[in-house]
Amino acid sequence: MLYPKTNPLIRWIFKTYVKRLVGAHFHRFLYNNATVDEGKSVLLVANHFSFWDGLILFCLNDKLLKKKFHVMILHETAQKTGMLRYGGAFSVDKNSRDMVQSLDYAAELLNNPGNLVLMFPQGRLFSNFVSEVKFEKGVMKLIEKAQGKFQLIFAATFVQYFKHKKPSVTVYLKNETGNYAGKGIDELQNSYQQHYQASKLLQTEIDIK
Amino acid sequence: MISHPRRKILANLFAKYMYYRMRKTFNKLVVVSKPEIKPGHSILLLCNHFGWWDGLWANYLAYWHLHRHSYIMMQEDHLQARMWLSHCGAFSINRSSREMITSLQHGAGLLNDPENLVIVFPQGELISNHTTEIKVEKGIERLIKNIKGPCQIIYSCALVEYFESLKPSAYFHLFDCGVAGELSFNELDKKINAFHKQALADELNVEH
Repeated sequence: MLYPKTNPLIRWIFKTYVKRLVGAHFHRFLYNNATVDEGKSVLLVANHFSFWDGLILFCLNDKLLKKKFHVMILHETAQKTGMLRYGGAFSVDKNSRDMVQSLDYAAELLNNPGNLVLMFPQGRLFSNFVSEVKFEKGVMKLIEKAQGKFQLIFAATFVQYFKHKKPSVTVYLKNETGNYAGKGIDELQNSYQQHYQASKLLQTEIDIK
Repeated sequence: MISHPRRKILANLFAKYMYYRMRKTFNKLVVVSKPEIKPGHSILLLCNHFGWWDGLWANYLAYWHLHRHSYIMMQEDHLQARMWLSHCGAFSINRSSREMITSLQHGAGLLNDPENLVIVFPQGELISNHTTEIKVEKGIERLIKNIKGPCQIIYSCALVEYFESLKPSAYFHLFDCGVAGELSFNELDKKINAFHKQALADELNVEH
């Protein structure tokens, strides 16, 4: 398992670079407000359709949630794009026993109220046009391990062009108050699905003028 | 109505320059499905309309994949802001004026020549890329009724994805709606909506 790198100077360079990259690529970055409990860490559960997802939510955390950002990424990605580790990325290898170690590490991070852990429970990249989001089981193991110490937030991200040359990105956030410890993956998946569908509907109904 | 004779050299140069611009902006431009192009038929290319790039993508399809002389129907205020496009085949339509009929007849007249292709956005306005329904404006019915020569109607659904790349990729799903005069407006409307849903379903399995 690969852990986040901690060099503060390179972390600052990474943060500045990513903020500029996101600002330059997107015409507008839209998101709704979500109240953050200062006494709890945040488990951010999001859809995964592009390499940008992590970077977009990294910036969102910087603007709104203001926690110490961590994200669980695939081992191959962490090896290939090592720089992501300066942004708080740690690896998970779904086909190895290392996976337990990654989940334990994520649970440990959630014990500290200053931390945020971003997870893409879909496990790999899917189209931005999926109508049903399917989760892999790892996220439930993390929820079990870190019981009650975190605040669960759902994020659904969509990209659209509107009338501009550059695309705009919209992140729909929802504070999820339900306790999923001891429950099945289906219940979490259904709750996320409801949020995803409602967000997609809002995105579809946007008035482009 | 704004319309000028199409300058072939200018239109070809524009298509090539825009291809260069698109190659810089996009990771991939992929035609996922393409129907058989009927020889001796002009083409009415109906496209979904959700962003700035739509017209340029349709022009790319016309030049590089459908091999016809492209003309595009544009909103009058948009064309007024870029008048030079009228020399590359753009002509205007003003939906709130009676001149609209002249524009539709002009579009139909162009389609009498089998070498030509006319790009029209049947939704008539920008609608979200995530919509699952395409509302086809009534003007399309009048346009098709006025076509006298053989004309193949193609629906193009463009969808944008990122996947592993920092640059977006555009995926084009093309469907054959049939020949003008052989299907009613209601049939066309139903086909376009069915094709759009099909494109959204196929999009989930595109290679990346």
